[in-house]
Amino acid sequence: MKRITNLLTLWKRPKPQVGVTPHEIFWQENKWKLLRYQARPEGISHQTPILLVPSLINRHYVLDLMPGKSFAEYLVAQGFDVFCIDWGTPGDEDRYVTFDDLVDGALGRAIRKVASTVGHDRTHVLGYCMGGTLAAIHGAVHPEHLQSFVALAAPVKFNDGSLLSQWTRLKGFDIDALVAGTGNVPPRLLQSAFQMLRPTLPLQKAVMLIDRAWNDEFLDGHLALETWGNDNVAIPGEFYRTYISELYQKDALLPGRFALKGKKVELKNLVCPTLAVTFEHDNIVPGPSAAALIDVIGAKDKQHLHLPGGHVGAVVSKHAAKTLWPQLVAFYEKHDSPPQKRAPLPQVEKKPAPVSKPAKRRTSAPREVRTR
Amino acid sequence: MMMWDQWKKGFDMWEQKTAEMMETVLKSPAVLQPMGGLLSASMKMKAGVEKASAQWWGGLGLPTKREQEKTLHALNQIQSRLIDLEEKLAEMKKN
Repeated sequence: MKRITNLLTLWKRPKPQVGVTPHEIFWQENKWKLLRYQARPEGISHQTPILLVPSLINRHYVLDLMPGKSFAEYLVAQGFDVFCIDWGTPGDEDRYVTFDDLVDGALGRAIRKVASTVGHDRTHVLGYCMGGTLAAIHGAVHPEHLQSFVALAAPVKFNDGSLLSQWTRLKGFDIDALVAGTGNVPPRLLQSAFQMLRPTLPLQKAVMLIDRAWNDEFLDGHLALETWGNDNVAIPGEFYRTYISELYQKDALLPGRFALKGKKVELKNLVCPTLAVTFEHDNIVPGPSAAALIDVIGAKDKQHLHLPGGHVGAVVSKHAAKTLWPQLVAFYEKHDSPPQKRAPLPQVEKKPAPVSKPAKRRTSAPREVRTR
Repeated sequence: MMMWDQWKKGFDMWEQKTAEMMETVLKSPAVLQPMGGLLSASMKMKAGVEKASAQWWGGLGLPTKREQEKTLHALNQIQSRLIDLEEKLAEMKKN
């Protein structure tokens, strides 16, 4: 009965609040912002801050979805000083923003700003999806401020036979024509490409919704994820041109043929403790495409964690709070810096920041951990 | 409830098979080549129309959208370079 009532009243169900973990804007430049989450009342108990680097394609708040399903909130509760990049919405003029502007410029600035909050001048960096790729590239050229690096479903090997890889290598696909025609690549185009990765997904989600409509908590989570999934953002055209032509079409990152601001990107220069996390049912970033990072970096302390679940569901779910998140916290605790003098923390007020890819699969099976 | 569960099992099987089939179709060059070609052609046309309209606009002596975008972008770049310099200065003072 509750299932039917919930389904009938779904349209008037209040939209769940997303991205509401209290935070302040720590730094802002052009359209991107560096957010700092308010520390827990007991204060910070770790010496090294954490910088979360989300993908440019989707909004940052997937890492702070909603209370109880927020990775940022979880980290704050564990006593970490947590920062997150909000890439913002590019304006028409940002079609000229290049890969170097964002990865060497903006990401570099964010890392330096976060690192400067502690005496030892280093920060943990966690990159999710494309954010992980960008952070790996930056870390290989500027490793000096990295205490550790976590690559969460971050592709580094792009010629992997996946649909995305095949589409971008297609003879008829002209990236220059696309950028010239669109300027900033519109979210609708990107969203339809992702939807084509599994065209039956909307139907699958509808059936799952009917099946679990009796569960209010599930419904709220589903609506929050849909809110995020439909809140897409455009990508600066010049950045997209480099990302597709150099990384996808030429697969230049792994062989060391890619350059960031004129400097050769050699992943072997990434020497800080590194953890690569991959997901079994990830149809956006296939496991081998992300796991390849571990084989090429120069870090002595490197691990590969392979978990069940999809690209989004395994990172943002109740299941993630029991499996992935505690393992990440254990990684950070292991690689924390010895006690240092810390810059004073600002007092911030609660500030909701609503600012997008549907869950691909639910997670269920027990995890598998591989250490190298 | 039993009926729903049975139906759902059947649906899951259908969904899995259909997704696999769709993936094969979407990987096929016979489907991809025309789609890619169509996308590129429409983008070239869009860019061409924009260029023509910008030329007309420019002919009137007015700044085009591209020119305004380039100016705004240049301002943003200058702002970033200034912040770079401030950072370097702060670093030098610290040392």
